Amino acid sequence: MEASREFVYKKFAEYYRDPSTEIPAPLHTEQREFGYLMFKERFMVRHRSFSSISNLRAVLAETVPSDVYHSCAYYENPDFDMDKKGWVGSDLVFDIDADHIPTSCNKIHDEFKCVKCGFSGRGITPEACPCCEGTKFETKIWACDLCIQSAREETGKLLDMLENDFGFSTDDLHVFFSGHRGYHVHLEAESVRSLDAMARKEIVDYVTGLGLAVLDKEADEKRRKRKGAKHFILHDFGWNRRLKVAMEKFLLNASKEDLKAVGIRNRALIENKDAIIKRAINEGRWESINGVSVQTWLKLAEYVREQQASKIDTVVTTDVHRLIRMNGTLHGKTGLMKVEFPAKSLADFDPFSGAVAFKKGEVKVFVSDAPEFRLGDEALGPYKNQTVVLPTAAAVMLICKRRAEVAP
Amino acid sequence: MAASQMEKALSSEDFAKYPFLKHASKQIANLDFTISNLSSEKTVFDRALNRVTCAINEMHTGKMANDKKTEISSFAAALILVIATKNSWIKKRYALAVAKTAHAQMLNEKIDTLTAIAKDFDWDICAGSPYKDFRIGFTFYLRNAAHMHGIEWKLVNQIMDRGMVYLNKDKVIRLLQEEVKARVEKRLDIPEIKNLPEEINLIANDLVRLAQEQIGEETDNLPKVVVQAAFPPCINALYADAAASHHLSHIGRFTLTAFLVNIGMTPEALNELFKTFSDYNERLTRYQIEHIAGERGSGTRYTCPQCSVLQTHSVCKNRDELCRRIYHPLKYYVLKQKSLKSA
Ligand code: SF4
Ligand SMILES: [Zn+2]
Ligand SMILES: [Zn+2]
Repeated sequence: MEASREFVYKKFAEYYRDPSTEIPAPLHTEQREFGYLMFKERFMVRHRSFSSISNLRAVLAETVPSDVYHSCAYYENPDFDMDKKGWVGSDLVFDIDADHIPTSCNKIHDEFKCVKCGFSGRGITPEACPCCEGTKFETKIWACDLCIQSAREETGKLLDMLENDFGFSTDDLHVFFSGHRGYHVHLEAESVRSLDAMARKEIVDYVTGLGLAVLDKEADEKRRKRKGAKHFILHDFGWNRRLKVAMEKFLLNASKEDLKAVGIRNRALIENKDAIIKRAINEGRWESINGVSVQTWLKLAEYVREQQASKIDTVVTTDVHRLIRMNGTLHGKTGLMKVEFPAKSLADFDPFSGAVAFKKGEVKVFVSDAPEFRLGDEALGPYKNQTVVLPTAAAVMLICKRRAEVAP
Repeated sequence: MAASQMEKALSSEDFAKYPFLKHASKQIANLDFTISNLSSEKTVFDRALNRVTCAINEMHTGKMANDKKTEISSFAAALILVIATKNSWIKKRYALAVAKTAHAQMLNEKIDTLTAIAKDFDWDICAGSPYKDFRIGFTFYLRNAAHMHGIEWKLVNQIMDRGMVYLNKDKVIRLLQEEVKARVEKRLDIPEIKNLPEEINLIANDLVRLAQEQIGEETDNLPKVVVQAAFPPCINALYADAAASHHLSHIGRFTLTAFLVNIGMTPEALNELFKTFSDYNERLTRYQIEHIAGERGSGTRYTCPQCSVLQTHSVCKNRDELCRRIYHPLKYYVLKQKSLKSA
């Protein structure tokens, strides 16, 4: 193994061998399947089970994996083959990752390179290479404050729904920084454990606002056929309330350009906004406003639905066998920890200090390319083909991201 | 409505109507019938046979006996008969018939009786004033409604507040029908009963024959040749994506594979198709295909996900007119073929 990997490996080993490292036991450790990625062999070990967290810790200290996962599911026999494990239930988990959401930084810090022809660029990785139409890319992705901020906003919307609509208490909501550029929310409440994939799909659809009847074109046609039936009605709960609140807020602040962006060319909406908000949104007389058609309301509602939806990874939540990164372990692409924090601290928790594992020491590294970034209170970079002395955590992160090497 | 007004003890009359309730089966324990004397208890036995025959032929459980005791014990006896058939179609059919019969009866019940029945299924349920008749915990809602079709059942379209879903009577009754079905299915989920008297086995054979006549009338088999012109839009889109970029998401690939396996494409032909993919891995692909086709692992053949699942994961694309009439891509395929033929 080359010197840089060796260095990261050593650091990870120190972390897992240090008795003061906190690795909280997942609920019912003995019923979980564990998996981990081997550092040197790049090989995923799966279907392991541990009777206690101390047994697991012993293995982590011994093997020093680059990434550690456990099942969201509880099994009778976690170490058996998939078909014979005996599923007894699963936590309800949500994954929000900047990879899946549009961010205001537009990911200009990400790099991609076509494996086939070598074409490279910055920003969001295209589906196919503009040169050779190849679809395999080597990527170097980065997490900036804006990426984290976008993920945080999506998580905030999710937590709001889980609390107010689904009625979970903040004690039920386990919120984590994922260790890279996203958040995880785990719910271990007894009541959700036995929900099947279809029930979880309904929860996903709720969170993303998919299938809302008011916005359903086919249902709308049916409603219109029933003569005289009102076809735009919003009640005061859940998504209906969300739509109303968001529509009001949008109208209060909207400029003509904002409306155009939504596809609405109606000036009345802006000129009489106070009266319209009062009559339509507050009193529910949607069809009473001259010049504002049901179609316009539908467009606006669809726009705010998109805004209000929480952009979770749909596949993670519906998969009742999924492995998820383990709390208190290191992320192989950053050297940061997955770490839990109270739901109410979402806005204040700073991953770039709260998730830092390697707080001591400095290392001399040669950095090929790194944007401006921050760890803790320290502003670092940008660096381009230069040798610098960095705090250990920063050095580990740059090496993990293949942007730096240990300098001789 | 105060909580005390909603609590109600169920009567023996209720148990006769809803013999699947927990306390009804406790009453059976006090009734005197055993498996060996089952066929000698003529009235009970006749009513039991009548239940199962009606279920197979007409999807309800027949006319109730006048005597409550007979009614309750014959329910238990009917379960034994159904298990004796060892026939999964009859088991499913019987559970559904019991559930539908209960549904029809529940439509005439008052709020307090419905509450008591729901509590028998351990539901978190109480009065739903001022918005609706009831409110129930969302997990109890999902357990039953998640498998129901139609946007009026989607969670996103319910009034939900602090974990409680507000519902009117008709919807609660429909959800209870699902609970009844699941409970009866569970009670029938026994491979066999040892030492059944011979006459019971003979009757069970008759029931299987009766069922086969019914099944003969209902099946519509998938045609064997692959007709690409009948593919639903989502599958066409996956196919096109695969052809253009030679890359699909995991769920996209699973959907395409399962769809093609289910309409009769051979694993060999599929393997040829996937060879053109950029991340093709012979061993892995073969494994996945065989796994989906049920030739490996648990032996269950995977069917492709239904439309609502594909919508959740953004695999549903270019929905068309025909899509409105179906809930499953395979159903689309069958209907489209019919329309192609008749055109
Ligand atoms: S509705 Fe169903 S069949 Fe039609 S495109 Fe969507 S997923 Fe496919
Ligand atoms: Zn290329
Ligand atoms: Zn960013």
